[in-house]
Amino acid sequence: MFRYILKRMALLPPILLAVSLVVFGILRLGQGDPAMAYLRLSNIPPTDQALAVAREELGLDKPFAVQYVRWLGDAVQGDFGRSYVTKNPVLDEIFYYLPNTLTLAAASLVLTLLISAPLGMVSALKKDKLPDHLTRGLSFFGVSMPNFWLGFILAWLFAVKLGWLPPMGKGGLGHMVLPVVTMSLMSLCINTRLIRANMLDNMHSRYVLYARARGLPESVVVGRHVMANSLIPVITAIGMHVGELFGGAVIAETIFAWPGVGRYAVSAIYNRDYPVMQCFILIMTTIFVTMNLVVDICYAWLDPRIRFEGDSR
Amino acid sequence: MRMLILSSWLLTAFLIFSPLMAHHAVASPPEGEGVLVYSWNSNVGPLNPHLYSPSQMFAQAMVYEPLVSYQADGTVAPWLATSWEVSEDGREYIFTLREGVTFSDGEPFDAAAVKKNFDAMFLNHERHHWLELMNQLHEVEEAGGEAVTVIDEHTVKLTLKDPYYPILQELALIRPVRFLSPAAFPESGDTSEGIKAPIGTGPWKVVEMVKGEYDVFERNEAYWGGSPAMKHLVVKVIPDSNARAVAFDTGEIDLIYGSGGHGGGQLGLDTFQRYQQMGAVKTAVSPPFATRAMALNTNCFPTNELAVRRAILHAVNKQAMVEHIFLGVEPQADTLFAPSMPYCDLGLTPFEYDADASAKLLDEAGWTLEQGAEYRTKDGKTLALDLCFVGNDALQKSVAEVIQGDLRKIGVQANLVGEEMDSFLSRQKSGEFGIIFGDTFGPPYDPHSFCSSMRVPSHADYQAQLGLPMKEELDEKIGQVLVTVDEKERQDIYEHILTTLHEQAVYLPLTYMTSIMVHRPELEGASFGPTKQEIPFETMEKK
Repeated sequence: MFRYILKRMALLPPILLAVSLVVFGILRLGQGDPAMAYLRLSNIPPTDQALAVAREELGLDKPFAVQYVRWLGDAVQGDFGRSYVTKNPVLDEIFYYLPNTLTLAAASLVLTLLISAPLGMVSALKKDKLPDHLTRGLSFFGVSMPNFWLGFILAWLFAVKLGWLPPMGKGGLGHMVLPVVTMSLMSLCINTRLIRANMLDNMHSRYVLYARARGLPESVVVGRHVMANSLIPVITAIGMHVGELFGGAVIAETIFAWPGVGRYAVSAIYNRDYPVMQCFILIMTTIFVTMNLVVDICYAWLDPRIRFEGDSR
Repeated sequence: MRMLILSSWLLTAFLIFSPLMAHHAVASPPEGEGVLVYSWNSNVGPLNPHLYSPSQMFAQAMVYEPLVSYQADGTVAPWLATSWEVSEDGREYIFTLREGVTFSDGEPFDAAAVKKNFDAMFLNHERHHWLELMNQLHEVEEAGGEAVTVIDEHTVKLTLKDPYYPILQELALIRPVRFLSPAAFPESGDTSEGIKAPIGTGPWKVVEMVKGEYDVFERNEAYWGGSPAMKHLVVKVIPDSNARAVAFDTGEIDLIYGSGGHGGGQLGLDTFQRYQQMGAVKTAVSPPFATRAMALNTNCFPTNELAVRRAILHAVNKQAMVEHIFLGVEPQADTLFAPSMPYCDLGLTPFEYDADASAKLLDEAGWTLEQGAEYRTKDGKTLALDLCFVGNDALQKSVAEVIQGDLRKIGVQANLVGEEMDSFLSRQKSGEFGIIFGDTFGPPYDPHSFCSSMRVPSHADYQAQLGLPMKEELDEKIGQVLVTVDEKERQDIYEHILTTLHEQAVYLPLTYMTSIMVHRPELEGASFGPTKQEIPFETMEKK
């Protein structure tokens, strides 16, 4: 198990290196010019001279290879350069905004699990009865609703019409409700359906039949055996939800003016702020790879078959 | 057991996240009476008066002041300088500075402070190369002269290389010629390295900046021009125009002010129209600030033919465009510059919407429409051109589509080329376009700076005009008008330049760009500034 984790961890640096090269290359292959974007933001007419000055200042006058090697040399020492726009160190800025996004993502994840688990179970236990129909209807609705649209509807209803919740910004817990609901609805609905399907699958498996044959009460059969086994695939789904949550955060942060890293990254893309985009993508890659690893480890813990397979490798 | 492991996993995740959540304490801006709340797409930035992005111009104008100020009627009025004298050759300007003015840190505003600021700008002169005023001054320094001379405590002389007349308009700009307190300069004196604090002589001072959330300004009680009516101004960061509307509806912000339209705009035009019809809130549309125009390339087929250009100008139904796309927020434009701009009230005859006149012009020029054909042809060539716009700009896209439809009616094929902003700008520079969007700069740059840029090859206007037989003469005239000391002669030359461009049908003016404003009736004294970027918060008061 330990070797398995180490092996997986060792893969992280080459993955990041490959991602950095691809990102660096793709950004510079595009037709956009950050010097032009800089002048546009500054209201300066883009004359050749103004462009040359801006390019030199941003280090864009050097060949691609030189730019990459320089950037990589600094990056391995933890220096991801300065933002073209704000002129501040990129890493500082990203770490300034990242906790706000993680807060939303963590809250959304908790909300997703807290609601989807009981809903999924009830739906499975009351299959083809009213609670099941209601849950399935809600899931269908939630999965089909684009989150930007949901965000605006929620803001209109709960902030404008009812005045119950603040519509924007960071503050107390109240400020988190709308963005968190916006971000989690889709994962929540997917999870509910997944748990329901797993429960139904497990309820018809042979070990449940055997448990019942042993005369175990139904509550123990469902509570201990079916539920625990139904939650294992959910762990994998959580790994995927983290990705969805970061995607959803970009939209929720924009709609609810939440000062997170998603919104910061969007403005960097708009301004062609290469150093910010590069660093952002690398940090996101790290989070994804780490999340996958954590999910795999959890899975191995929960399911001995995987653990033994992992050890034999 | 497994549930236990799962729960402990969740707990671990929480433990990892929770210290991050506590990373910054929850801050909150001042609230209540005496606080005016506005919103902007980003933080206002470091507010270095001598630098550009990411400092936001409207905020720079709140903190720093110019020697002279641009007025809504196009004239220039005294500000930090109470008067000025111009030498006969038009190369020397002697400014008398206002007495009793102090920076918000208590430092006096005097001739030495003015010189110190100009010296800092000269250290970084390459960055200001786009501004002719800085070139004029810096060239004097380079030649060994002194561009800025302290005559006495309250008198300063500026010496130019040529008698460049728009010096006053350019001194009125929001950046880079505004004044920072000498105490806020870095040790090296080079402000391009950064400043200690944003301290100016203006009506507002910065008291708090919270990244990604808001900025707080407080009125400068010692302001020479009378303190603002409100004690605080909070600028909340709201990048999305729909979110801004929600914030206004819920009372989170008091005022929406700026350009209309999605994207970089403060408010979508449809939302603005909703507020206009609502009645419970006050709305206003500013006078024209700049012209939304398109440049027709005189240097390539088929717009190199005058008749084709004139036909195109007659073919576009601007009135319908104003009604259906601009929702009446931007008025129709008939000339490159609004007649309200200095030297631009020339009484030029507009190219009226007249599809028959277009068809006649094209027929006479030999462009015939074959039976059953959709587009006109001449010598085997189809009458087709590329119409270039920024692909993700919804407004430009709609306008381009309307023009495409209008041109089809007269047998001209317009191929829509929608690209991302940077590729679009590259096209402007290289001249690879048939028709391309290009707005004028607006006051105080119009008309002199805009005309001046027509001489620069990296500009769309230069490329568009390159095919004119009188291009060289036009450039010469522009060169002349900028250094003409005689007011009458200046008017005549402008008349010549603008009339020629109009008659040669180089530009298709669409609408005059305006700013919009929405606020509740409790907010009094709200009005538009003389330029697009200046917002007169000082006069606004929440009752």
